[in-house]
Formats: sequence, structure tokens, C-alpha cells
Amino acid sequence: MGAWGYVFLAYGIVWGALLWYFFSLKRRFRRAEIELAELRSVEGLQSHAEK
Amino acid sequence: MQPNVTKKRKGYLGALALMLILLGLYWGLVQAPPDAYQGDTQRIMYLHIPSILTAYLSFFLVFVGSCLYLWKREKRDDILAYSAAEIGVLFTALTIIEGSIWGKPTWGVWWTWDARLTLTAILLLIFVGYLMLRSLIEEESRAASAAAILGIIGFLDIPMVHMSVYWWRTLHQPPSILRPDKAPWDNVHPAMLTALAINFVGFILLYFYLLSLRFRLGEITEEIKTRRLDRGQ
Repeated sequence: MGAWGYVFLAYGIVWGALLWYFFSLKRRFRRAEIELAELRSVEGLQSHAEK
Repeated sequence: MQPNVTKKRKGYLGALALMLILLGLYWGLVQAPPDAYQGDTQRIMYLHIPSILTAYLSFFLVFVGSCLYLWKREKRDDILAYSAAEIGVLFTALTIIEGSIWGKPTWGVWWTWDARLTLTAILLLIFVGYLMLRSLIEEESRAASAAAILGIIGFLDIPMVHMSVYWWRTLHQPPSILRPDKAPWDNVHPAMLTALAINFVGFILLYFYLLSLRFRLGEITEEIKTRRLDRGQ
């Protein structure tokens, strides 16, 4: 492998890994937000029913 | 530092980080000249130094968050430490990978048990252990306390990593930029220094953007746990 081969390998791995982490974080974030919204709506319905 | 910034501010931070990263790629791969001895492989430096400095910053925040948590027992400090540890592990692992790729054409080997490399690997293992510890201990407050102690101990490895090139005879070179005897601009080509500075600022902004997302995720997860406990689930 030539000099540029090593450079592109390093840049590819770094930016690939950072992009993967960013998108996985976004996915976890979205899932958590949906779960929280569901919990809030269930609690809202329960308190409404109690009234 | 306020990781829980508003969504709009987070957007600006992300956009600014992206702009600097693209500019840094241009300067690092096109504008900066090749090194006189190492040629083009030296361009890996524009990733390698910002990565490890970002990891140091991250573990410093683990240290601060851990100390505050042990002192005040506020969940917010624990979330900060946990978030910073996760991202710090990523940047440390990337530093080791970049260094390995840079080492092959420069030293002729992918890995050597040099003091700097070994201590960086130990740093990574300590914080991988930190993340594992959190998932292994079921009781939340015990897990947070044990992790905080490990986070503080782990941070103490950083001065050793940094000083290792002075304390031991190492294959890893001593610092070229932060030298006590010379100013950076006396030692490094201005275009190389500019490329490094842009990449460094880009990495730091990206780091704070990721940290703000991870911190908010930690807050939401905490709220979900509290609500589930209240409902008896």
C-alpha cells in the first residue's frame, strides 16, 4: 500500500466510525423520545380517567 | 459548560462543526505540504492529534462529573460522566487505530509495546471497564459510585500517557507542537499548523455536539426509568 493508501484508510475508518456513532446516537435518541412520549400519554390518559 | 443546550443551538453547533471538518479535510489533504521525511503519511497527524486531545478532554469531563457526583450525589453529574466516558472511549479507540495505520509505513509495524502506546491502550481498557461496570452492577447508585471512582483513577493515567515519551525511551516521537523549548510556528510549517488547528477546533465542536446529544439521551433515559418506577413496572 502506498502513502495515500494509508492516509485514506485512516481517514475512512475515522470518519466512518464517527458517522456510525452519530447515526446510532440519533437512533437511540429517537427511540427514547418515542418511549417517553408513550409513557407520558399513558399517564395522561390514566390521570384523565381518574378525574 | 452546559451540555443541555437548546435544539436550535445544537443545530448551529453541528453545522459549524461540519463546516470546520470539511475545511479541515481540505487543508489536511490538499493545502498542507507533505512532510520532508514521512511524505504524505504524515497527513494522518491531522486526525491523530485532535483525536487524542478530544479523548483527554472527554476523560477530564468524566473526572469532573465523577468528583461532583461523589460530592453532591446529583444524577446530572453522573449522566455527564457517563456520556463523556462513552465518547472518550470512541476517540481513544480511533486514536489507537490511526496511530497503528501511521505506524506501519513509519516504523514498519502495526503495533509495538512502546510506553506511550501501551499506556494509551491501558487508558482505553480502563474506560471500557468503566462502561462495562455500569451495565454489570444492577443497583443504579452503586454502579454510579463505583464508576465514578474508576473514572477518577482512569483520568490519572492521562498525565502518564502524556509524559511517557519523556520518562521512557520510546519509539513514539516526543511532541512536535507543544514543545517547551520552541514555539509551534518555529518548528512546523504554517500550512501544517493551520490544518492542525482547523481540525482540532472541528473535532472539539463535533465533540460538544455529540456530548450534548448523548447527555440529553441520558436525561431522557433517566426520566423513563423514574416514570416506570413510579408506575411500578
